[in-house]
Formats: sequence, C-alpha cells, structure tokens
Amino acid sequence: MSYELVAGLETHIELSTKTKIFCQCTTEFGGEPNTHCCPICMGMPGTLPKLNKKVVEYAVKAGLATNCKIRNISKMDRKNYTYPDLPKAYQISQFDKPICYEGFIKLSSGKNIRINRIHIEEDAGKLIHERGDTYIDYNRGGVPLIEIVTEPDFRSIDEVHEYLEKLRLIMKYIGVSDVKMQEGSLRCDVNISARKKGEEEFGTRTEIKNMNSLNFIAKAMEYEFGRHVDILESGGKIEQETRRYDSALNITESMRGKEDADDYRYFRDPDLVNIIVSEEEIKKLKDELPQLPDEKLDIFINEYGLPKDDAELLIKYKKIAEYFEEASKDIKNKKLISNYILSQIFRRMPTDSDKEECSISLPPEYLKELISLLENKKINSSMASNALEKMLDTGKPVSEFISQKDMQGIDEDTLREICMRAVTENKDAVDSYLGGKEKAFGSIIGYIMKETKGKADPQKAGEIVREIIKSF
Amino acid sequence: MHGYRAAIKRSSYKIEVGERMLTKEEVLRIAKIAKLSVKDDEVEQLIKDMSTIIDYADAINSVVEDSELEFDDINNIANAFNEDIVLESYDRDEILKNREGGEKGYFVVRKSLRG
Amino acid sequence: MSKIKHLQKLLETKEITCIELTERYLQNIERQNKVINAYINVTAEEALETAKKVDERIAAREKLMPLEGIPMSLKDNISTKGIETTCCSKMLQGYYPIYDATVWETLKNQNSVLLGKTNMDEFAMGSSCETSIFGVTLNPHNTDYVAGGSSGGAAASVKGNMAVYGIGSDTGGSIRQPASFCGLVGFKPTYGTVSRYGVVAYASSLDQVGPITDSVEDAAIIYDCLSSYDPKDSTSVGSKISTRDKIKDGIKGMKIGIAQEFFEGISKDIKTSLEEAIKVYQDAGAQIIHFEMPKLNAVLPAYFIISCAEASSNLGRYDGIRYGYKTDSYKDINEMICKNRSEGFGKEVQRRILLGTYALSSGRYDAYYKKAQNLRYSIIQDFKKIFESCDIILTPSVPVTAYKKGKALVDPIEIYMMDICTVPANIAGLPAVSVPCGFDKNNMPIGMQLIGNSFEDYKVLNAAYQFEKLTKKTGVSYTGPEVEI
Ligand SMILES: [Mg+2]
Ligand SMILES: [Zn+2]
Repeated sequence: MSYELVAGLETHIELSTKTKIFCQCTTEFGGEPNTHCCPICMGMPGTLPKLNKKVVEYAVKAGLATNCKIRNISKMDRKNYTYPDLPKAYQISQFDKPICYEGFIKLSSGKNIRINRIHIEEDAGKLIHERGDTYIDYNRGGVPLIEIVTEPDFRSIDEVHEYLEKLRLIMKYIGVSDVKMQEGSLRCDVNISARKKGEEEFGTRTEIKNMNSLNFIAKAMEYEFGRHVDILESGGKIEQETRRYDSALNITESMRGKEDADDYRYFRDPDLVNIIVSEEEIKKLKDELPQLPDEKLDIFINEYGLPKDDAELLIKYKKIAEYFEEASKDIKNKKLISNYILSQIFRRMPTDSDKEECSISLPPEYLKELISLLENKKINSSMASNALEKMLDTGKPVSEFISQKDMQGIDEDTLREICMRAVTENKDAVDSYLGGKEKAFGSIIGYIMKETKGKADPQKAGEIVREIIKSF
Repeated sequence: MHGYRAAIKRSSYKIEVGERMLTKEEVLRIAKIAKLSVKDDEVEQLIKDMSTIIDYADAINSVVEDSELEFDDINNIANAFNEDIVLESYDRDEILKNREGGEKGYFVVRKSLRG
Repeated sequence: MSKIKHLQKLLETKEITCIELTERYLQNIERQNKVINAYINVTAEEALETAKKVDERIAAREKLMPLEGIPMSLKDNISTKGIETTCCSKMLQGYYPIYDATVWETLKNQNSVLLGKTNMDEFAMGSSCETSIFGVTLNPHNTDYVAGGSSGGAAASVKGNMAVYGIGSDTGGSIRQPASFCGLVGFKPTYGTVSRYGVVAYASSLDQVGPITDSVEDAAIIYDCLSSYDPKDSTSVGSKISTRDKIKDGIKGMKIGIAQEFFEGISKDIKTSLEEAIKVYQDAGAQIIHFEMPKLNAVLPAYFIISCAEASSNLGRYDGIRYGYKTDSYKDINEMICKNRSEGFGKEVQRRILLGTYALSSGRYDAYYKKAQNLRYSIIQDFKKIFESCDIILTPSVPVTAYKKGKALVDPIEIYMMDICTVPANIAGLPAVSVPCGFDKNNMPIGMQLIGNSFEDYKVLNAAYQFEKLTKKTGVSYTGPEVEI
C-alpha cells in the first residue's frame, strides 16, 4: 500500500531589528550570558512591555511579500506557560488576531503553499543543560520573531525544502531577517501525518518541534513519515503527540502526549494597546518592498535570456543579484556578465556567507566597464580574464591594467605575419599536430599569444594557423 | 450582622453553593497548570471556595447577552511604540543581583536539592 | 490651608528645617508603628539624606518644587531601587529592585522624603492587610479596628501622622476603602493618567496608583505631580489639566447622579450620613439626578474573574529562579517551581491564582473570562450614558465601616462584597475619590465616594473639595505635625 505524506509548517524567524521587541536591549547574537538584559526583558516585577515599531513594519512587510492580507487592527496576547527560559511565565504573542493572514508562497511547480497566518511574538532565553543542572542565559529572551504558519499543503519533503528555501530568500530580500540558521534565527515545527494515496481525510498528526537546519528537517520528516507508515501498515494507531528530533541518533522521540498538552490560557495582554496599521501605511510599506526573488528570476530568464540554472544561482544571494544587475546595466549581452560572475568572481567567494555578503571589493561599474570593452571587441576574452583577476586583487578599474594601446589590438596583417612565423619556427609542433596530436596546436597558439603579449584573439589566430598549415 | 451581609441576602440573584461544584480532579489539574502544589487536606476547602465564587460568577450571565461586544481597551489608545534604537543594557551584576548561586554569569538551577 | 502647603510654608520661612520635620515624623513612627504596623520598612537614613539636600536648597534660596521636602510613604508594591520591595509576601522577601517605578522616580526628582514602605495585603489581594506576612495594620483612629486594605499601611501612616501622605494602589478599591475606614481622602485617578511602570502588577487593566491624604487639596497637588505621560507605560495617557487650580471652581449647577443600587443593604448610619451629604450639595446649588444601575450586582463577579485571571498570569513569573523565595528541597525543576510558589505565596494569593487559572483555562474561557469582559464593555457603555446627564456619581465608598481586629471575614463572598461600590470605577477606568462624610455609632469614619467620567479627575476632586470646605470634615483645620492619636 502506498502512503502520501501530509505536512504543515510553523516557522519562527528572528527579525533583524536592532532592539528587542519590548525593550531597547540589543538583539545582537551571542555576547556574554545575561549581558543583553534589562528589567523589562527579565520580566522583573512591575515592568511593562512596549512594542518596537520596526517589528510591526517588518511583520507587515513579511506578510505583503507572502501575499498575505494585513489586519488593520490587531493586538497582542499572552500565551501562558511556565518554563525557566520564559521569565514572565508567558510569551507575548498573537492569538486570534494575527497581523497577517491568508497568504501563499508559490513553488516552482506552480503549486501554492497556503499561509494561514503570520504573527508577532517574542523569543525565549536559552537553557544549557550540564550534568543535570540548568544554566540560563536570557540574552535571546525578547528578541522579536514572526511565526509563519502554513496550511497542511505539503505532500513531499522536497516541497518543504523548496518552501523553506524560498521563504528564507524572501525574508532576506525584504530585509526583515538575516535568517542565519546556524544562529537559530529560523526554526521550524513540522506537523506531519500519513494517509493512503487517494484518500481524502487526513491521518492523525504528530508535531516535531524546534528544528533549525534544512537537513535535519528533511531527515526528521523522513523518519517520522516512515514511522507513521510502519505503524499504520501494522494496523496500529498514531498517537497525537509532540516529538523532538534527535539528530545524533536520527530518530524522533516523544516529548509529551495529547493529554499533557499545555493549556496556554491565551488572553489579551492588558499591558499593551491595539496595533493599528492604516491602508496608507500598508501602501507605504508595500512601496518599500524590493523586487522579490521570483520577479527577478522571471526577468533574468525571460528578459535577459539567462539560462534558468544561471538565473537561479544569481538570485540565490540578494547582493549577488544586485551586483549582477548593476554590472549588466546597458550591457546587451547580459549572459556575458553572468558568466564572469558565476565563474571567475564566484571563485573569489568560496563560502555561502561570502556570497551572502558579496564580499569582493570590485565595484560592479568596473566589471561593467571591462565587459563593455569585451563586448565591443576592444579586447579579447583572455585579456578580459587576465585583467579581471588583477582587478579582483586590487579593486582597481580596468584602465590600470589595459592601456589604450593594448586595446587597439593587432591588425590582421601583423597577426598573419606572426602566425606564419609561429608555423615556421615550431616545425615539430606542426608535425605532431599533422600527426594527429590536437594538443600540439595549443602550443602554437601559445607562441602567438606570447609574441603578441596576449593581445591576439586566440580564436582568430587559430583560424589563420589552420589556413596556413592547410596551404602547405 | 454587617449591613452588606444583608445586602447579599436582599440582592436580586441568589447564591446556591454547590450548584456548580468543581471536582477534585479539576482543582488538581488547575493547580498543576498554575504550578501550585495543593495538599490533600486543602483540596476540600479549595473546592468549596472556588465553587462558591464560580457559582457567584454566574450572576454575570443573567445580565449579559452573548452577542455583546467584548471589552478591549479602556482609553482606546493604540500604537504605543518604542523606536528601534538600542539603549545600553543593565550591568550583569545587577541582573543577577537578586539570585545567589549564579555561575559564570548564568542563572543556575541545580538538578535537585535535598534539604 | 492644606497640609502640604502649610508644611512647605514652614520650611520656606525656616520655622522648621526639613531635617527637623523628618525627624519628628520618624519619631512618630518610632512611637506608634509597633502598634499600628503601618510601615514594614522604615528608610530613615535615606529620608534624612534627602531632608539635608532640601535644607541646602532652602538655604540657597531655591524655590521648592510642589512636593519637595514633604515626608511621605510608599506602598510596598512600588519598586524602589535598592530598597527592599516585598509586596508583603514571603515570595519577595529579600528582593531589591534594580530600577525605580516611574511614580517613585517622579517623587524622588521632587526631593520627596521617603519615610518607608507601607504594609499591604499580600500582592494587594485583600481588604484589611490581614493577608500580609507582616500582619494586620491597625486603624489609628481607633486601634481596636483594622485600617482596611489593601493600602492599609498607606492610610494608617497618614492617619497616625507618620507621613504627610501615602502613595497606594487601587485595583478594586484598595486606596478608597482604607481611606474610608481611616477617615481620609483616597483618590484613584482615571486609568492611564498615572504610570503603572514599576508598580508590581496585580491586575494590569484595573491597577491604578493614587494618593491617600487628609485633604482633597493635597490629593490634587500630588495627582498633578504624578499624572504625566510615561513613555515606559504603553497604557499611559497622562493629564495636562492642573487639577489644583480647577478644584476651586464651585459646584453650583453641578449634576450629581445617584443610583439606588449602590445604597442597597448599607447600614443606617452610613445611609443617614450620605443623605446629609447629598443635602449639603443640594443646598450649595447642585442638582441631584437619579439613575438606575441594574448591572451593578454582576460587576463584582466580573471584577473578580478579570482580576484573578490577570493576576494568575502576572504572578506566573514568581518561580524562584531569578529572584524571590527559594525552597530548600526538591527533586527536579518542576517540583522546585511548584514548591517555591506554594511555600512563597499565601493562601489567598494561591486561591486567586487558581481561580484566575480556571477562568482562563480551555473550555472555561468563554463561560467566565469572555463573559466578564462582555459585561465590562457593557458597563463602560452604561457609564458613558450616565455621564451624558451627570457630572459625577455619588455613592457610599464601602457598604460598611472599619471592623474590629480579629473579626476577620472567612466567607470569600463576604470579603468580596465589601468592594461592591469601589469596583465599578476600576472596571470602567473612571476617577473616584473617597472623602470622609461622618461617623457611625461607634465613632468610626464613614466615607463617601464620588465617581467621575474618564479624564474628569478635576470634577471629582472639585466636588470633594467643595464638600470638604462646606463641612470641614477633613484635615483643612490642620495645624502642625505633632498630632498624637
Ligand atoms: Mg509561537
Ligand atoms: Zn531588555
């Protein structure tokens, strides 16, 4: 019997505001324990929260970028539960009036993953367990989060993967989060169930809590789906429960059952007032949104004529995409720029974070200058590559490395003369070439390039050499 | 007799203790959520007190319609916001000041403690 | 002349130094507090230090700020940096706040002389200070009686002449009731006019800070100083009106509303006293308007549900991890938290937490919390309508006068019924004052409550001030600090 996976996601994303959600402590990651704290984020008796305006703006932007409706009047609620990492014994969150609702993210297949809601809430502190003792650091307590909740629309792990990549990219593009997974700024709870293919009704679901790596999410889902199928196959029943993923053992294990489920006793936080976002403000925030990755992809492929794979590589990093756009302005052959970026320039940024930051010192205008020389056949490609290496080393413009004179190139008569000389002075190479050794041809061209100090167009030179040899 | 006791008697609703008696299980479940441990000899009195008050709370039902609007904010104020500007956090010694037994700047909860 | 004005004049004319004044109050405390139990913590050193500063400013011919140099007390739920703030709970014994409540910051900036922290019911839950771990506060008017609560210590500090004024907090009547029991003026301002920042929360949507004084004018002076917008409190609105100037407007033409429901079941003495008060107003040209308040009986249970629900959440933070009471034996974190809370909180606090938890719990929310909020909404609408035709509403402050110590009430409903007159102002966020209007057959003070429309605190204080002037029943005849009980 074949089973189908059904999953929904709750994704927590840390917003990249400068200060915490209800006080003005820094949100900076790390720091000595309990040094980013004040009476408010410590929930000390008598303190009161005050909402960071940026959090609302960022949440609205996140909603707009994921096709959500924005609620003009929303409020903050208390989610009550006692745990040592939560200094007030309640998390300030949004319950029945989330600021954004009913959106979607389109996957490459054309399928929409529906977003039920996006709400604002605060993060908790961090617990470190050592030999059974618990060490508590409240630096992260009160860092703003948005929680993005989907409908149970996922039918495969690949869909989940693509959705998360897409979500991450969107949040980065609109600048509301750095989404650094290793710092836990994106965390996921997955609701998962299995049903027989073709069946309408959903199976009993389990929830896997708090995973912060795409890899772990995939593995955990794979394990959990398998577990469901095994149980169902053997005629068992799935227990509705909350589970955690143990990455070392690659298994999920039960945290608590349905009967132990928390009773959060949600109610409006009387310390906070209504949040009103007017249509004008929504429009203003909408206008501030940059071009989103999907729109860019469309333009790169359909207007600029880039291959899909190349376009995807470029948009994967917002700053790279922007670098490309800057460098290719007024350049007809956009692919030429793309090629240089994806090969020579990417080699200078080996890690993900290099690319994230677009960590090269070469301004895009300089690249554009270089490529327009190439496009106008003022220089040839080998000259361009050489110059680009030096430009990347120094961050200086092309004029530092290629003079006017160099750019004039070599007229055909001179080139023919040098080619003739190359053939006569490299008899051995010509012989081996004629004897079938393709490689020998390269050394002839190498000679020409050396003689012309790289100014010759190797392709053109090759044509001439072949002509000469043929005419013998 | 205090005057207000008479007031209770004369008031338009009546209190019938025990009408909506809570069960022991219910009280214990609530205590668990509230992180309070209720001793066995306290349960009975608690059930009585809580039941009394809950019965009493039913007086609300006699005057409020379900459809009526829910209260949200007394002064109808909205949008009280902080700007996203970092202020210096507190000195860690201050943050930890009211709890002895911290370690390396952390609050510590020992696994268990035998008294 | 009001006490504050009188004392400032003495200071400015150098008839007395601020240090001398402070010492006299400290002596009064020394002499009486053992019996009265108004203060649970006397801050003599800080007080004298501030007094010294004030004397220096007077010597330098600086103009005194409105509350400068005046010895006063703070309820122990108001956070004072470096000064223990316990809410009279075992839970917070030994807790030293690392920041100041905004009200205290404001008073401190005025060089107010803090004499100490006053007794209260544990976490403000009670009406007699009997739930305080420090024990009951007695009524300086007659020490056979209780001072009331929860701001009982604040009232007793003023009545016992151990402070010029006391700052208290009022969630369901905690300022007005002890003021009424002690024969003082107790004022709960409009919700949002005085900052709640740093006041240890009982029920956030109901809590409001205010003064207990022996004259209306003093209450107005203090209110004017405290009622400014506080950016730290999201619900803060502040007030720009100078109440102090407005209270002398007179009452001719003032429309005073009266609803029979507030008078149901009160004792004959209280009834007579209030009827006389109404006559005083009528004679002075006020117009009496009768209205009905059929929902009054449901306000109290709604108040109880809302306050307990909010309290259950507000008091969740006391887990003994970052501050507060810590048990000495447990087997895991969960048990530690449960023990810290069960051993650290008193019985009444635990009872209210349980009730609030129940009212919010799944399956109960709609029946209790939501219903209570519905009623709250509808009561607010009712008041709005009433204030279309009235300037203020006149009621008894409390259905009873102070009761004898040791006669503690056991039935929870009876205890809660005491708040029936005071609670509506909290539920609707309205300003309300209790002023003395007579004595019962045991010569215990009777209080009259005046409730006003939102942000019309000045109207309430005006009506109270005019009454005081017409009857001279409060401290207008005050002469000096050396009053004994
Ligand atoms: Mg959440
Ligand atoms: Zn903070």
